[in-house]
Amino acid sequence: MKQHRTLWGTVGPVIVAIAAILLLLILPHKHTAYRSVELQKASISLSTNVFKGESMKTHALDHGYVPFFGSSELARLDLMHPSVLAEKYHRSYKPFLLGKAGTQSLTHYFAMQDMTKQLRNKKAVFIISPQWFTKVGQLKAAFSIYYSPLATAQWLLKAHNNFVDRYAAKRLLTMQAVPATSIMGQAIEAVAHGHHLTHAQRVYLQLRLRTLHSEDKLFAGLGIQNKLSRLKKDKKKLPKRYAFNRLDHLAGRIGRRSTTSNPFQIDNYLYRSRLKGKRIKAMKNKQVKLDYRRSPEYADFELILNQFAQSHTNVLFIMPPINAKWAKYTGLSMRMLKQTNRKIKQQLTRQGFNNVLDLTQAGNVNYFMQDTIHLGWRGWLAIDQVVRPFIERQQKSPHYHMKQMYFSKKWQQKIVK
Amino acid sequence: MINLQPYANPVYFVLLIATLMPAMIGLYFGKRFKAYEAAWTFVFLVVTFGGEKWHQGVALIGYVLFQLLLVYGYQRYRQHRNQTSIFVTMVSLSIVPLVAVKLAPVLPISQLSFFGFLGISYLTFKTVQVLMELRDGTIKTIRSRDYLRFLLFFPTVSSGPIDRFRRFQTDEQQVPDRETYLGLVETGIHHLFKGFVYKYMLGYLFGTLLLPQVAHAAMLCRHAFFGTGLSVPLILYMYVYSMYLFFDFAGYSLFAVGISHFMGIKTPENFRSPFAAHNIKEFWNRWHMSLSFWFRDFVFMRFTFYVMKKRLIKNRIRISQVAYLVNFLVMGFWHGVTWYYITYGLFHAVAIILNDYWLRFKKAHPNFISHNAVTESISIFITFNTVCFSFLIFSGFLNTLWFK
Repeated sequence: MKQHRTLWGTVGPVIVAIAAILLLLILPHKHTAYRSVELQKASISLSTNVFKGESMKTHALDHGYVPFFGSSELARLDLMHPSVLAEKYHRSYKPFLLGKAGTQSLTHYFAMQDMTKQLRNKKAVFIISPQWFTKVGQLKAAFSIYYSPLATAQWLLKAHNNFVDRYAAKRLLTMQAVPATSIMGQAIEAVAHGHHLTHAQRVYLQLRLRTLHSEDKLFAGLGIQNKLSRLKKDKKKLPKRYAFNRLDHLAGRIGRRSTTSNPFQIDNYLYRSRLKGKRIKAMKNKQVKLDYRRSPEYADFELILNQFAQSHTNVLFIMPPINAKWAKYTGLSMRMLKQTNRKIKQQLTRQGFNNVLDLTQAGNVNYFMQDTIHLGWRGWLAIDQVVRPFIERQQKSPHYHMKQMYFSKKWQQKIVK
Repeated sequence: MINLQPYANPVYFVLLIATLMPAMIGLYFGKRFKAYEAAWTFVFLVVTFGGEKWHQGVALIGYVLFQLLLVYGYQRYRQHRNQTSIFVTMVSLSIVPLVAVKLAPVLPISQLSFFGFLGISYLTFKTVQVLMELRDGTIKTIRSRDYLRFLLFFPTVSSGPIDRFRRFQTDEQQVPDRETYLGLVETGIHHLFKGFVYKYMLGYLFGTLLLPQVAHAAMLCRHAFFGTGLSVPLILYMYVYSMYLFFDFAGYSLFAVGISHFMGIKTPENFRSPFAAHNIKEFWNRWHMSLSFWFRDFVFMRFTFYVMKKRLIKNRIRISQVAYLVNFLVMGFWHGVTWYYITYGLFHAVAIILNDYWLRFKKAHPNFISHNAVTESISIFITFNTVCFSFLIFSGFLNTLWFK
């Protein structure tokens, strides 16, 4: 029997499918509660979709997690890592790790726009690397990986015509992550020039935000790297009772055991896979000319500070050292590094950010670093000595007084001696 | 000004199909709105080659006028005379812009690349085909507007599939009845959705998620195996790249064919389960078919006839072997003048020649090996791996691995 085709039989299924998708994206979703194990998985996964999404982050921060902002060092999940210590010794707080290789101030500034409510009057830890402060600052390629349309749409809808927002918009445009001709791109352009968003732009952004929220809620839990078994393995190596001396000794012992292949105290696996042979020879005196003192990053960092000031977040800033043996080999200038650290510290303290843990002098403490520039065994433990009381004890509420000067080209290029 | 790249994102599909709707409704009611289709094509050409790509637009206009002149001129000429030298001149002239663009990266004259625009290869294939058929007399007359409509048929303008003029013209001239048209819409929808799965899911998985990771891992092993860089990640790269290449391009081709169906044009398919081929010869009947058939008809066959006519080579087997070499070398050079594209062409020529030896051997010794499920699977396995290896050459990754 020959079946006759009808119009509805042909295009009907497509129309139904499209309608179903639109409903799924546009109708508001009930906030599904994540299971605590899911949140824990997300908190140490460093997955990009967690970083860019909203629901996982905000849900976790509403449930006892404290944001730890940083970059590549967060991935050094050894037994003294803050997440492991917090889990092992049943701390009242759990770190939520935000950041990965390539996340710098500007990425963090935009990615935190969907959790400003959760930052309000709360505490946070921020690990700030001198390596961010290069001549070019935030790389476009890295920015576009971590660019979150969701957070950006939220930022746009609450942006004001003030210096900070105009500056942020201008920087966002230079990153070229948003096509300039798109509605979103044009809205950013408007903010950069101090114009109000048009009614149509607002309506579009609200609609877009709604679909992005739905997507986030539907897919945030997918594809999160599961590192819980690593966490458990590391946890088992720790003694039952927390005693600094014992832990410090253990950290040193494991550090020694893990760095037998090279004179720099760099983790064996990392050394073998990334540096051994020709590559290590090529690194000799390779960093003589590196300069972190002059960088657009200083102004991007000021954006973050403004955000923390605005949401009244009490932040502990951690300034990690550089492996001194490595620095000597690559010829990195200690004077330059000292001036960099001084400049960062000045920008912090002169605006009222007084919780600064300066570890920059610890570069030649044995097994403090896991490799060249990343904190490891004893370094993580040293941080714990400050992080724990900072979060667990009541702190004086901070008084920030922001200065626009820190956005200026002059400051970006200034050398603090 | 806005600029849209073909089939790049969901918005593109919405715009394309929404604006095509009047033409589709017309076809549903048995009418082809030629003027609307022409206007639609014009607008989409403008948004594809306008805005930031305006220089491509200029190149396109110049190119089309030039080719139009060639086709029109040759057609007028052919009605009275048929000299080989004129025919050769015309074909040579029509491929001059493409040759210039392909040579631009290797010659010191960088201005040559200004001739380039997205899809120049595919337009050249179409024009050469028209010229050849005019020579053969299979196309007697061709009106300028028919030629332009064929040349600039928008769904396939950027990367094929390469249609044939007479086939296209037949579809274009007749309006399908409602039942047939609905059938076309149905297959069109099927093509589009299969294309979404191919390009945006599988192509994304292999190309965007996996490929950079295996590439990075393979680069870390670049000194492995006596400095050749041969490593497990490199082998993984070979397979991941092959999958990416297939799903990305097959996905694109499905879009082009699907949209063609919406317009009542049965643009030929480009892929037919290529990795299920049981030898290299069959592979080329399944992979990028519209291209390989074009090469078969207009390079391989023409070359073979020419050699036979002039009795340059006596041995028939030898003729086909040389023809394969010429065919795949031309294809290699067409991909680009780099050592890896040319090696890729040579590799396939050698593979198909060896394959021919084997087929002849099998024919001469029918009892040597029996055909069953096991031997069939083995031959598919060998073919698949040979092809993937050729794609590793094609990818240019070895160039980065060894010389960069």
